[in-house]
Amino acid sequence: MPVEIPAPRPAAATATEPLRTGVGYSDAADAVEAGRAAAAEALAGLQGYPPELIIVYTSVSYDLIALLHAVRRATGKAPLVGATTSGQFHDGRLIDPGLGVSVLALSAGRYRFGVASVTGVTEDGDDAGQRLARAARAAAGPEPTPHAALLLLTTGLAGHQQELLNGVHRVLGAPVPVVGGSAGDDRLLIRTCVFENDNVLTDGGAAGVWIASPDPLSVVAEHGWYDVGLPLLVTKSDGLVIQEIAGRPAAEVFREHFHDDVDFERPGLIKPAPGYLSAYAFGLIQPDGSKLVRGAYIDEDGQLKTFSPLPLYAPVQIVSCRAEDLLRVTGDVVRRSLAGRDASVLLAFSCVARLDVLAEQGAREAALIQDAAGEVTTFGFYTYGEFARTTRVAGYHNATLTAIAL
Amino acid sequence: MTAAVPAAVPDEGETEQLRQQLAAAVDAARDAYRDTTRLIQVLDLLGRPAGSAELIGDMLNVLSDAFFADVVCMARVAGERLVVAASCGLPEDDPAYAQGWPVGEAARRTLATTEPTARHGTMPDDDAPGSVTGLGIRSAAWIPLSTEPYADTLLILFRSLDQPFAMSDLRMLTSVAARLQMALQERERHAVIEQLAHYGHLLARHLEVDPLLDEAAELLLRLTGADRAWVVTVEGGQGRLRAHRGLPPALLAAWPVPARSLDDLPACDAGLSEVLKVAVSRENGATALLYAGRERPRPFAQGTLEIMTIFANYLGVALTNAELYLALTDRATRDPLTRLANRSALVSHLDTLLSAADPTRIGVLFCDLDGFKSVNDLFGHEAGDELLMQVADRLRSSVRPDDLLARFGGDEFVIVLDRVKQLSEVAEIGARICADLDDRLVVCGEQVHVSASIGGVLGIRGEATPSTMLRDADAAMYVAKARGSGQVEVFDEDASHRSRDRLDLRAELLLARTRGQLHLAYQPIFALDSRAVVAFEALLRWTHPHHGTVPPDVFIPLAEETGAIVEIGQWVLAQACRQLAHWHRLPEGRGLGMSVNLSPVQLHQSQAAERTLDTIRTAGLHPADIWLEITEHSYLRHEVTEYAGALGAAGVHLVLDDFGTAYSNLSYLKRLPIEILKIDKSFVSGVTGPGGGQIDLSIVRAILAIADSLGLVAIAEGIETEDQRAALRALGCRLGQGYLLSRPLPAAQAGLLLRPQPQMPARAAQRGA
Repeated sequence: MPVEIPAPRPAAATATEPLRTGVGYSDAADAVEAGRAAAAEALAGLQGYPPELIIVYTSVSYDLIALLHAVRRATGKAPLVGATTSGQFHDGRLIDPGLGVSVLALSAGRYRFGVASVTGVTEDGDDAGQRLARAARAAAGPEPTPHAALLLLTTGLAGHQQELLNGVHRVLGAPVPVVGGSAGDDRLLIRTCVFENDNVLTDGGAAGVWIASPDPLSVVAEHGWYDVGLPLLVTKSDGLVIQEIAGRPAAEVFREHFHDDVDFERPGLIKPAPGYLSAYAFGLIQPDGSKLVRGAYIDEDGQLKTFSPLPLYAPVQIVSCRAEDLLRVTGDVVRRSLAGRDASVLLAFSCVARLDVLAEQGAREAALIQDAAGEVTTFGFYTYGEFARTTRVAGYHNATLTAIAL
Repeated sequence: MTAAVPAAVPDEGETEQLRQQLAAAVDAARDAYRDTTRLIQVLDLLGRPAGSAELIGDMLNVLSDAFFADVVCMARVAGERLVVAASCGLPEDDPAYAQGWPVGEAARRTLATTEPTARHGTMPDDDAPGSVTGLGIRSAAWIPLSTEPYADTLLILFRSLDQPFAMSDLRMLTSVAARLQMALQERERHAVIEQLAHYGHLLARHLEVDPLLDEAAELLLRLTGADRAWVVTVEGGQGRLRAHRGLPPALLAAWPVPARSLDDLPACDAGLSEVLKVAVSRENGATALLYAGRERPRPFAQGTLEIMTIFANYLGVALTNAELYLALTDRATRDPLTRLANRSALVSHLDTLLSAADPTRIGVLFCDLDGFKSVNDLFGHEAGDELLMQVADRLRSSVRPDDLLARFGGDEFVIVLDRVKQLSEVAEIGARICADLDDRLVVCGEQVHVSASIGGVLGIRGEATPSTMLRDADAAMYVAKARGSGQVEVFDEDASHRSRDRLDLRAELLLARTRGQLHLAYQPIFALDSRAVVAFEALLRWTHPHHGTVPPDVFIPLAEETGAIVEIGQWVLAQACRQLAHWHRLPEGRGLGMSVNLSPVQLHQSQAAERTLDTIRTAGLHPADIWLEITEHSYLRHEVTEYAGALGAAGVHLVLDDFGTAYSNLSYLKRLPIEILKIDKSFVSGVTGPGGGQIDLSIVRAILAIADSLGLVAIAEGIETEDQRAALRALGCRLGQGYLLSRPLPAAQAGLLLRPQPQMPARAAQRGA
């Protein structure tokens, strides 16, 4: 149902107008009904303010085209982006993978939004990133603003996330932070999708939102994982297969770090690769001593694999975590994101690997996020990899919680 | 906490100590691995087969990643500013790419010392591009890309991480920068060598100067990465802009400029921050200068001038080749005397025009000078050449700019008129050219009157061919010339067809004799009183396999045009002599004469008299047995007089044919040894006719009187009635021929007419003399 839109007010002239938010959710089995209901509830939260950006996170189990059309019928021409997920979170609630659609509606507030999408990430991620950055920026209109950020949603099984980011960075440069995540598919690892307006793009596609802002925007990322061994060099690899670490068979080295306490049969893994251990991963050592987490598992042939390739001779440390380690950083990420800002909404992206580790405590992260955010609306999904480009060009993470506050 | 290795020792203090040692070892290992990885990443990148731009892009990404830098850029000094050539972290539309920023203290120090510079803490705003200052930069490093003196490129890293660049970082960055520089130089050298080789090839394919210079401007722009490139040639003290890329139209008006002001940077340089110039060195020929300029304060890459110099050498070779080709083409397509297109260029041009898809038609004018031969004869060949050059100049100024003027050969010129709608246009232009030419020219100090006969035709594209058009125009010109000098004749389709038939006939005539299509008929000349045959006139007949009998007034002029008449005439004389010799051997044929017609053309041949007498004697005859008929026009020349004199002296009887129809200049009769006059048929037919008969009768009477007074014999031609014969007899005309008496007959039938020996006219003449 189309929304009654009040008399248009130019976004730029409402600089003091707070950003209005509305969140809707439906777990109706029918895609049209679920989309309609979630969109209507989200729009209702705007209290009559026109929507300027719609974000849709949904289980891949729906007829996505029907779902998107139902949402669009309700939200009209308001720019829309979205992604399929492996679970959503908002209002302190976890929406388990495979259930429901969540919609966020935002008024303009002090911001101006422009959305765009591209395909071809698999063929040339760098080029796709450049095209996406230019198109999203252009969609927000020609008036310059002093600050901006890019919300980036890519299809989770397309790979090439860092190349996509390289392309974005080539166009936008260091002044524009990037936040976002890779779409999930309820852990099925079959097909992920992103949305842009009326378009549903499957693997190889990406969508973005240019967020033009009068104030600086910042992106925060933390993971909570800790080292369980000494620094090592990956000495031989072939794509996603790590063959040797420190000159020895990689799987053997990886296993040596397993602790007796680690439960091999964690619940909550719908389709884990055999030997998949969410509790162990690689920490890619960064120049400042920090680590980017890279998920790893031993497949049925006994090969050690990662979800994204590690650089040649990457310095790594095997890292591990328990649920409490992950939850320890949750409030931190939220507080740092909101610090010094009069924000209305926190957009967060958490990794499905975290959900795996959290297992039966999965819902606690959503609750902690909302606790830390207080009155601020929180809205996020469980991804197949997170974007948080803050300083350097590198900005693709695994098993991490990233966020931006608007 | 970084380590989770279980401690085996229960002592708390010792455990803590070990834990700290382990942590320190882990940190050291981490740093060592980090540095190792950085180096490996960089070396891996340098070893990959990528182009310069890709290498730089990837390298800056790796450096951003490995050194935790928000912005890494490669910047080059242009004037007093640093301009970014590539970066990781600057937005693509950052002004640092186009305008750069002033060279700050750290950059200046780094360039001067060729040592890296690091800063930590609060950054001075003037040492970084504007967009970087908003990033909260806490540390920065300036690394010279090369340690060579005068290096002008820096690798600059800015990071918001509040951690200074360590000495080891700077050492590694310096090493990376040097390797990057070498790798880039190596790649650029390869790229430039490849490019130059390719461009040299591109230049070499041009055989004409203008397209060559145009291509050179384009390639120069690409080769140097310039915003503007232009090519100037210096000829006769003038610098001419021959080709350019990127020059605003307003700057084009200033050209050409005096060559001496070329060094003062003429108009093309306006608004350029840097201009490179090289000369194209040539052994001889026009000098060319190559210019490449950049509008933005973005300097040219190192070595650009050397590249331009090599390119200039390629261009020099290509220019020399083009000029040689031009000279060769010129030689092949131009008439060396008049510098007009020659016959081959004409045909090729005409062929091109006729092949074009265009509804308009093509006109061809064929001009032949009147009286050119006499200029050559009177004043010599040099005068003839000078006349041709002057005529060529006249024609040049007469033709329209798009028309092609060619020298076809000798004194023949052809003008090709493009885009003509109808034949009348061709005729008009022909008439205008005719009028322009009709003038007096001073040649070798002598005044010469010039005129031309012009023939014109119109050709339809896709139908006409150069050869048919030229043939028809030539034929039309002949018709014009036949009407007198300074005339124009245009042929429409029908006229062209007729001329074509005529030309076909002309060609076939050349072969007619060898194909046995020529034969002689003999018309008897009778004594009008006794009706005895005194002689035969040998008449040439051509029986064409398709056209049947071709009339002599059609084919004789053709034979004269082609010169075939010489050979044919010789053959006729020989045949006639053989036939007469045969008849002489018969009892009733003794003393019989044979009259043979001579063409004026035959008389122009050298030793014509000797050959004629040889033929007569070879047949076993006496020269006095032969009567040679010439027309009045034949007299005009000196050689005719000689010829007639020689033959007359040998005994040959000379007959003046068609007497009374032309000038009838009696002085010729006195000058030449004429013995017999033939009274033209037109007078003969009138002697008995109604009205006007009186005049003809008077003329015949006058002719007979003249003949009588000069001791000449008269023969009446074309007697067709008994009345005419009677009238002529009454007037005292003793000999005659005509259908009344006998048609021309084949030799066998003619032989039957022979009667007992009549009185020889020559003897009568001798008696009368």
